[in-house]
Amino acid sequence: MTSFHFDIGSRARHAGRFIGRVRGELLRALTLRKSEGELPQQVLAEKLGIQRSLINQQLAGEANLTLRSLADLAWAMDMEISFELKKPMAKAGQNQPILNQAMTTSTVQYGQIKYINGAGKQVSVFAAPANPETVQAKKSA
Amino acid sequence: MTTIEELVEANAISRIQVEIHPRDQALRLLYGTPGFIAWLGELAKGSQPERRLGEATPAEQVDDLFNTFLAGQPLVHMKQFRSIRAEKNAVWELKTPDIRIFGWFLRKDCFVCVFGNWTDVIKDHDLYRGYRIAIRRLRRELGVDETLCVQGVTPGDVLSL
Repeated sequence: MTSFHFDIGSRARHAGRFIGRVRGELLRALTLRKSEGELPQQVLAEKLGIQRSLINQQLAGEANLTLRSLADLAWAMDMEISFELKKPMAKAGQNQPILNQAMTTSTVQYGQIKYINGAGKQVSVFAAPANPETVQAKKSA
Repeated sequence: MTTIEELVEANAISRIQVEIHPRDQALRLLYGTPGFIAWLGELAKGSQPERRLGEATPAEQVDDLFNTFLAGQPLVHMKQFRSIRAEKNAVWELKTPDIRIFGWFLRKDCFVCVFGNWTDVIKDHDLYRGYRIAIRRLRRELGVDETLCVQGVTPGDVLSL
C-alpha cells in the first residue's frame, strides 16, 4: 500500500496552521453567536462601521487580517482574545512525528513530497525548487 | 461489493497524510486518487493561482485543511465544507480561500479527494456541475456502490463534529 505524505516543511506548516487556526476560531465564534440568535454579519459591520463584504472576506480568509481588525472583530462579537507563546513541551504518551526529521525552514517552493511505502520502505521524491540556481549557490557556498 | 481495501490495493486511491502535532491523533481518514495526488505534488512545488486571496500560500492552506480534518478538529459547515447538491451519494467540497477540493465520503470521517482546483477558476468557469458528474462517473467505474458512499447530506452525517 502506498501512502502520500504532504509535507511543506515546518516553517510553512507553522505559518499556515497558525493563520488557519485564527480564521477557524473567528468562524466558529461567529457561528456560535449566530446560533444564539445574535450578531449576523450585518450587525457586526454596522457596529464596526465597515462594509459587510469586508467582514465576509476577512472571515473567508480572502482579506488579510491585521491585529487591529482581529481585535475589532473580537470586540464586536463581545469575545476575548487569548494569545500565548510557549515552548513546546514533550509529554509522556504523546506521538512522535511521522518522520524523524530535523527542523526545516523550507518554504512551499522547497517542500518535499514523500511517498511512504506501507511495507516499511520509504521513497522520497523531492519537489523541484522554485529557483534551482539559488539552491546550487547554497550548495556550493 | 467493493471495499476500501480493494480500492487501495488496486491503487485507485491512496492514503494522504500530513504531519500531525504530537499531542493529536489522526481521528479521520483521507484518501486521494492518483490524479489528485499528482495535483497535490504540483501544489507542493509552489504553484499559485493568478490572484491569490488567502494570506497563507495555497499549499499552506491545504496542509492546514488536511491537518484540521485528520486531527478530528471541527470544520465549519458551508465555510470549510459542503455538499455540492443535497442528494443521495452526494459529492462534497472541502474549501480554503484559494482552493476547492471535490470528492466524496466513503464513510463518516473518511473522505476521498478526486479533484483540486483554484477557487477563482472554479467560480469563473462554473465547474461545480462538471466535477459532480465526473465524480459520479468515477464511482461507477470503480464499482463504488452505496455501501462506500455516505447517504446523508447533513454535516453530522459525514463528520463527527
